[in-house]
Amino acid sequence: MPVVSINGLKKRFQDQEVIKGLDFQLTEGKCVALLGANGAGKTTTLKMLSGLMKPDSGTIVFEGAEKGDFRSLIGYLPQYPVFYDWMTGREFLEYTGKLAGLSNKEAKGRAQELLELVGIADAKNRRIGKYSGGMKQRLGIAQAIIHRPKLVMLDEPVSALDPFGRREVLELMEKLKKETTILFSTHILNDAEEVCDEILFLHNGKLVEAGTMSQLKDKHQQAKIDLVFKENTSRYSEELSVLYPVTSIKINGEKASLFVEDVEGAKKLFLTEITSRNLPLIKFEISRTSLEDVFMKVVQK
Amino acid sequence: MKQWLTLYKKELLEMVRNYKWIWVPLTFILIAVKEPMTLYYMPQIIDSLGGLPEGAVIELPVPSAGEALAASLSQYNTLGVLIIVLITMGVIAGERKSGVAGIILVKPVSYARFVTAKWAGVMLLIWFSYFCGYFLSWYYVGILFEFISFTDFIQSFFVYGIWLTFVLTITIFFNSFLQSPGAVGFITMGITILLSLVSSSLSHLLDWSPALLSVYTNTLIMGNGFPEELMPTILISLFMIILSLFASIAIFRKRELA
Repeated sequence: MPVVSINGLKKRFQDQEVIKGLDFQLTEGKCVALLGANGAGKTTTLKMLSGLMKPDSGTIVFEGAEKGDFRSLIGYLPQYPVFYDWMTGREFLEYTGKLAGLSNKEAKGRAQELLELVGIADAKNRRIGKYSGGMKQRLGIAQAIIHRPKLVMLDEPVSALDPFGRREVLELMEKLKKETTILFSTHILNDAEEVCDEILFLHNGKLVEAGTMSQLKDKHQQAKIDLVFKENTSRYSEELSVLYPVTSIKINGEKASLFVEDVEGAKKLFLTEITSRNLPLIKFEISRTSLEDVFMKVVQK
Repeated sequence: MKQWLTLYKKELLEMVRNYKWIWVPLTFILIAVKEPMTLYYMPQIIDSLGGLPEGAVIELPVPSAGEALAASLSQYNTLGVLIIVLITMGVIAGERKSGVAGIILVKPVSYARFVTAKWAGVMLLIWFSYFCGYFLSWYYVGILFEFISFTDFIQSFFVYGIWLTFVLTITIFFNSFLQSPGAVGFITMGITILLSLVSSSLSHLLDWSPALLSVYTNTLIMGNGFPEELMPTILISLFMIILSLFASIAIFRKRELA
């Protein structure tokens, strides 16, 4: 069942069309990554979905929204979350909880619960002005889910964090996945790959690719053989590539990647050739193109 | 109503945390009390500054109690209005500029409650401070000159308070669509000054202008009774206050918040 359906969404800033017609649906219980380079339109899309921005045309229909106000169904974490610095973390969560319609008692309980879940319970009585970037990010996630929304939208939740913070936030999202639908934007493929089931690929305001992780991989991934020789990697690789129908060859410093249709056949042939000529092989690896490559391919199209 | 109270309590708490509950009343007291004091001690002040040269005779008319109290109010007309604008110019615009509004208004918060809670928060602070200042001024005028009847004091307090409320509401109104607190402050000050100037120079045409409330208040304090233009002016001012408040809500609802 779709939580939200987006149809023909468009947005223009002055003379530049930033979103050029988006259509997609988000299915309940899925974690979806909105992927794209800087300036692809990720933040604008999320802002429209959160109601902070109004689309020029197109519709956003939330399942179960009353009179077009869908704010009680969503939780949103902006890219650069700002809080009231004079409040403590606990006060802020209780405040947002009450604004979202929880009773005093519920808000208190839920705030405490979330402070522990996101791991800032120790700092709950400290002013937010004194929080570190990572703590603010986690407080931001906590406020986004305080009213148990159907859809949680996180705008670049890990981009500004150090490796530890990023690890923790990704683990937190892993936990959230079990409770709600998540839509989060990122330009880092690994993060998307790690926690997401589905990917929406945004480029220049258009959806250029969408689907589950495995669909995308099947569609775009190619088998390849990576070769590293002690010397003359490029010469040897080119000599080898003549032996077998290689779709393309990419030489990257000391490493050569040969893209092939049939890995097994190529493997046998290459290895025989290498041993018979006694070439100084250092590394022979069979792999598939990563999502990084898919990303590059889609963006360059 | 519950949500409104939550928003309203947050406003009051914020003013506690950034000490507005201390410095705003203190400033209003200082501004108001300074006037009767200086008027009363003027001869001594001149003396202590070296006095007048031998033979010079300057008649310093002893001001009446009404004039002393009116002097306090005329200070509010400049400094008081300035403080109100300074305090109010960022209440919404500032939150939008910083980005915190992006978190708060994504929650199912009613725009009307959001705007009115902010308005009511500043209202309480200003009326409290204004009362403290004006009451003390009245008290000192009573001690140093003579006591003005308490009814006149209360009447003038409320009448002039309407003008302050008008300034405050206009500031909130510009908050609803300008993103920069500085711009809000500048425009509101400009409008207030312009309105005062135009109203006092063209008072025969605009004798129901809210800016003239201060003039009518003076008449009240001087013990000259209720001017006949006062009632319509009050009604028009209240109407404009309510209108700006509704307009603020309507505009705010339509604006993109991020």
